[in-house]
Amino acid sequence: MSSSSTEQAQGTVAVEMPQMGVSVAEGTLTVWHKHVGDHVDRDEIICEVSTDKIDTDVPSPAAGSIVELLVEEEKTVPVGTALAVIAVEGGGGGEPAAAADAPAADAPAPAHAPASGNGTANGSHASFHSPVAQRLAAAHGIDLATVKGTGRGGRVRKQDVLAAAESGRASGSSAAPAAAEPSAPSAGVSEPLSRMRRAIAEHMTRSLHTAAHCTTIIEADFSRVERERAPIGCSPLPLVARAVVAALRAHPALNSTLEGDSLTRHEDVNLGIAVSLGERGLIVPVIHRAQELSAEGLAARIAELARRARADELTADDVRGGTFTITNPGGFGSIASTPIINQPQVGILDLEAVVKRPVAIVDDAGGDAIAVRPMAYLCLSWDHRALDGALAAQFLATLRGVLEGKEVGDDPIGRTAAP
Amino acid sequence: MATTASGPITAGIDGASVTSELLTREDRVQLLRYMLLMRGVEERALNLYRQGKVPGSFYDGFGQEAISAGAAFAMAAEDRLCVLHRDLAAHLVRGVAPGRVLAQYMGRTSGLTDGRDGNVHFGDRRLGCVGMVSMLPDMMPVANGMALAFKLRGERRCALTWLGDGASSRGDFHEAMNWAGVSRLPVIFVLENNQYAYSTPTELQFAVDPIARAASYGVHGETVDGNDAEAVFAAAFEARARALDGGGPTLIEAVTMRMHGHAAHDDMRYVPAELVEHWRARDPVELQERRVIELGADAQELRADVTSELDAAVDWALEQPMPDPGSAARGVFCEGAAEPLGDGMAPFSGYTREAL
Amino acid sequence: MPEMTYLQAIHDGLREELLADERVLVMGEDVGRFGGAFKVTDGLWDEFGAERVIDTPLAEAAIIGTAVGAAVVGMRPVCEMQFADFVACGFDQLVNVAGKMHYRQGLAVPITVRLPSGGGFGGGPFHSQNPEAWFMHAPGLKVVAPATAADAKGMLIGAIHDPNPVLFFEHKHLYRRVKGEVPPGREETPFRARVAREGRDLTVIAYGAMVWSALEATEDIDGASVEVIDLRSLVPLDEEAILASVAKTSKVVVIDEANATCAAGAQVAALIAERAFEDLDGPVVRVATPDAPIAFSPPLERALLPQADRIEEACRELLEY
Repeated sequence: MSSSSTEQAQGTVAVEMPQMGVSVAEGTLTVWHKHVGDHVDRDEIICEVSTDKIDTDVPSPAAGSIVELLVEEEKTVPVGTALAVIAVEGGGGGEPAAAADAPAADAPAPAHAPASGNGTANGSHASFHSPVAQRLAAAHGIDLATVKGTGRGGRVRKQDVLAAAESGRASGSSAAPAAAEPSAPSAGVSEPLSRMRRAIAEHMTRSLHTAAHCTTIIEADFSRVERERAPIGCSPLPLVARAVVAALRAHPALNSTLEGDSLTRHEDVNLGIAVSLGERGLIVPVIHRAQELSAEGLAARIAELARRARADELTADDVRGGTFTITNPGGFGSIASTPIINQPQVGILDLEAVVKRPVAIVDDAGGDAIAVRPMAYLCLSWDHRALDGALAAQFLATLRGVLEGKEVGDDPIGRTAAP
Repeated sequence: MATTASGPITAGIDGASVTSELLTREDRVQLLRYMLLMRGVEERALNLYRQGKVPGSFYDGFGQEAISAGAAFAMAAEDRLCVLHRDLAAHLVRGVAPGRVLAQYMGRTSGLTDGRDGNVHFGDRRLGCVGMVSMLPDMMPVANGMALAFKLRGERRCALTWLGDGASSRGDFHEAMNWAGVSRLPVIFVLENNQYAYSTPTELQFAVDPIARAASYGVHGETVDGNDAEAVFAAAFEARARALDGGGPTLIEAVTMRMHGHAAHDDMRYVPAELVEHWRARDPVELQERRVIELGADAQELRADVTSELDAAVDWALEQPMPDPGSAARGVFCEGAAEPLGDGMAPFSGYTREAL
Repeated sequence: MPEMTYLQAIHDGLREELLADERVLVMGEDVGRFGGAFKVTDGLWDEFGAERVIDTPLAEAAIIGTAVGAAVVGMRPVCEMQFADFVACGFDQLVNVAGKMHYRQGLAVPITVRLPSGGGFGGGPFHSQNPEAWFMHAPGLKVVAPATAADAKGMLIGAIHDPNPVLFFEHKHLYRRVKGEVPPGREETPFRARVAREGRDLTVIAYGAMVWSALEATEDIDGASVEVIDLRSLVPLDEEAILASVAKTSKVVVIDEANATCAAGAQVAALIAERAFEDLDGPVVRVATPDAPIAFSPPLERALLPQADRIEEACRELLEY
């Protein structure tokens, strides 16, 4: 055991709080055995300290006389704190100054040199375009040769491409010819996209570039849903969500994620529900293990997630792990849309407005008749990489059947109990 | 229940006259039946191996049937076992159907690992058995852990594992023997001394016989004739009583001979022919068969029963499908709740009487 | 909410579990009467007795193997390697017995192995290692490494509740240096990444003590907005969190206190190369310990382990790229 010391002014040495164990960060000075002016021999006990691992004596690092006691008894100080100063006999002695504190000039080089010198071998960075710069340039129709780079050696960086896209939009002039014909200059005020809008833009564009989008539409009679939702006091959405869960369980190919060449079928239905945040944008919180919830349970979870989304209280766990998404613009009256898939899922269901329409039905006597029924279109966008149209149609047919009460047990929308 | 083995137990290498008063005539027939089943399953499996239906290597316990049959027969339903690759009879005693073993050898579903592990690397967790790993004797600390839990919970149960002579050289043998002695764990180690670890004879394996080392760990040690199922049973039964009564661990050395090569690809030319001949005259199945014939049992009928059971088992196993390649990476982690080991079968009449 | 050190939080997690679940056992060398080499288990032996806080022989393989055996008959053992380095002696029981058990025979092995890891205090080649990657490479083992006091408790509880073998790497350097509010009770912290600080321009990915080094190093790099991701769990690895951050910043520095080759950060870098190539605006940069044993003498040790200045330099270079 030894205490450490560092050289102070010429001829003095400090006694430090020792580190008694690898994890100890501080210690308490319990008792001084010496006073100012006392003589100490080298290795003579000068004080006692206590840590939460052990109590120990502190021997003097040099022979000399005590000049100063810097820490009172019962005081707790960090490891390495000077406790006392000793005037060394003969003005020298003590240990040599630690080489450790000198800059590690001859230390081994870091295992991996940082980015400098990477990129292109000849140091000409201007002609090298990173993957993200190329992708964004393509997305915005920008010729990278025309963009001024601000990176090392004039390399065009991500922010340079985004700035070019921004100014192209603002001025309507430098955008590449591939972009749509610019509209006549107007007196609008341009402002940068919010972070959320940028994220949405990025995700949606990436999805369109990634998935082979197709949209299949089916029409369903919502009479039963309208009857069932009255006692719960909710919108049709939770009942549709419950029916979607049932349909996904019947067609697990839709409850999948596709990443690269890897298609994963999920046991649990983690149902994303798109929540509009008004002008701020859109977020998709996820109801995990939705198959375990009844329609009432789903209604409560949807309401809670929507509230938290609008209050900015969603956690990272709330928005990840989705296996299928429902979007519900029908609340605003639209009757058909082609939604974009939430990557890496393979399907998104769009619930449109429930509208009373005259429909042909078969009456009790078996004859054709026209009746007024609450009807809605269910629009499913699906990824043709992962499945084919027949399966999408079968899924929608199952969904319609469940909604209309024609299939799957006697409590098809699970209004009374979770399975 | 009887807490010590009553009656005379002689455990000599010339075990022809060994008797245990604990065993009824039916128990003795049952012991023979499990040994015949083990030998029969392994013969059928070797045929399937030679027909290219069993992938990988093939290991058997030909000539060692008495050890796994006798020791497992001494275990109660609530005891727990870690079973080795020459101990097939232990699985059969605990209640694993022969057809599942054959499906297991062939890497099919309905085996015991769904094709995830081969040959006798299995244990039916519902029957209280933990499957071995190839590193030996890794199951000794595991058996200790089960025994430790029983002791801490105040349960009258024990754990048993087998090991080989070669495994006694490794560190896990020392660590497990030492801890079992220190904590007086209710654990039984059955060392199958079959003279060779692959090609290495025991004189190149250790200077001091493992059984002579037992006492230095505080472990009770005993040597029995490993070709006498009833002698092995009696030693294991006594060791179990010792464990349950707080007497601590036992190392039983069952002396036998590995009558086949290390695996089917090994012609065993390094073993002197006269040694094999000596042991061939002491075949454990024949010994037990002579005994039950003396007791007036119909051994012919028993053999015929076993043969027809195995015929059906082979047919059934061959019908089982191969596993779905899409499932190959599944099951690495437990996704649900952890289910502990269940109880196995305990056919010994002493336990069934107790249950009544 | 009470404030605790990282060490006290681990102690608190053990104590809560011992109180609530009689299946939980603490076992290891010197963990009982003495309270553990780092005093993590101090007082537990007095409170719960020698049958629940078990002083074992000096036998790492047997400690892990015994824990496996106890677990498969219904216990929930938490074993301690006195130093993470010593787990090398128990490697076989973890990798071959515990890790493969469920895959082979559907038998779950709910054990937790606590591993005091990491360097920075003159521990030398056998008391300073970060051997997480040894076990990331072995199927069937979960590998986690908390950085904060709250995570130390919540993730330990999560490990004890997990039906699988979990290797819990607790960094010795954080034991008494990191303090924070720690919730009472038995709430689990999920084995997922955490955004330690949000940012836009660059992502630094780290775990364990390196999270603190990363935060310190990037506090102010000429005003750059640097995101710091605390991985928390290495197996399972939170790939979504990593990819989401890379999609946002397009530049990544990955820190390992472990030796560079095949370290956790190498896996992260490979993931980004495979799945986020088109998001990248520069090379994935790694800062790690060179492939040398951790030297004892302070200047040598400092030269080996990633220091804040080295991390800052790497970030600065990449920001300017």
